[in-house]
Amino acid sequence: MNPPPVTAAPLDAGRQGHYAGGVTRLVAFAADVGASWGIFTLALAGLSFAINLVTGNQVNLGSRQVLALSGLVIWEFIYFAYQWSLAGKTIGMAVLGIRVVSKDGDAITPRQAVIRTITLPLSFLFFGLGFLGILLNRDRHAWHDRLAGTVVVYSWDARAARLRWLAKQEPTTPV
Amino acid sequence: MRSWGNGPDTVADRAVSPLPGASRMEQLVESIAERVVNLVLDAIDINAIVGQVDMDALLAKVDIDAIVSKVDVDSLIDRVDVQKIIDRVDVDEIVNRVDVDQIVERVDVEAIIERVDVQAIIERVDIEQVIQRVDIDKLVEQTELGTIIAHSTSGVASEVLDVVRAQGVGLDDFVARWVNRILRRSSEDWSPGPPKLVNPPVPVPALPLEASA
Repeated sequence: MNPPPVTAAPLDAGRQGHYAGGVTRLVAFAADVGASWGIFTLALAGLSFAINLVTGNQVNLGSRQVLALSGLVIWEFIYFAYQWSLAGKTIGMAVLGIRVVSKDGDAITPRQAVIRTITLPLSFLFFGLGFLGILLNRDRHAWHDRLAGTVVVYSWDARAARLRWLAKQEPTTPV
Repeated sequence: MRSWGNGPDTVADRAVSPLPGASRMEQLVESIAERVVNLVLDAIDINAIVGQVDMDALLAKVDIDAIVSKVDVDSLIDRVDVQKIIDRVDVDEIVNRVDVDQIVERVDVEAIIERVDVQAIIERVDIEQVIQRVDIDKLVEQTELGTIIAHSTSGVASEVLDVVRAQGVGLDDFVARWVNRILRRSSEDWSPGPPKLVNPPVPVPALPLEASA
């Protein structure tokens, strides 16, 4: 029996390269905050343990707030700036399938990554007013995006995911 | 003495003379001349005479170019009704008499193919349009390709990621629709993403075949 003919049909081209929405970006950011804080906490505990091991003194770095806060700020800067400049995405963004690019679509430069990281706290000012642009603007700019000349887009290949899903279905007619 | 030669009183002069009796004389002379000519013609072998003529030498003396140069070819062609000639040609009859199989057998297909610039043809084909006509979903469902993809990319992690990402995109769309509705605007006129990502530059097509020929 001959297989049915392959007919023209509209394809699901996915969202690759489209501006990412607020929900995905929010979840990705939350994942990044959780990941960076988790790593920082683990690193702090590991360092305290190492100091205890070497000196024999009981040291709790977490209780030294100024030191811990300074370390946290530096760590967060490294966490975001390094990952954005390296691949245009952080761990949370990779999980959610989004990435940062220049306004025209080129890869983000290290300079843009640093500016974006430094200006990220500005968007939290005035009750997170800087993030409102993600919902309202055409290109979904937050303040730190505008200052760094960047946008966030989907990098997730929805079409490939759909093919994976289709591939798991039973073949209707073997060839 | 009467003379039959030159002179004012010859037979010929008298034959055209308006004098009485001239008509009879004239008839006599004509019949004699006719008889003589016939006798001479019967005696002469024209073919033998023509055979002795050197036609090549004769033609060599003729300046064909001079003759042709005097002919007005354009006016000659203008006087030819080409359409009439074509109308009188039975094209079907000619075509019926052509042995196409024999012609095709004499064609060196390999030589023709070797002269074709396949790369130039491929570059002129709109691959994107061809792919758009393929129903990828059916293709994957009905072929072993689907199984291969499933085996190569299966995994709980990828499935979870796909679900999480799909949920995220769905919520993004939901929020965007509500925001657009509240602000009473349409997102159809907007660019969905950065120009280089959603409208990548189209490669310039190659020059036509004439350029490579």
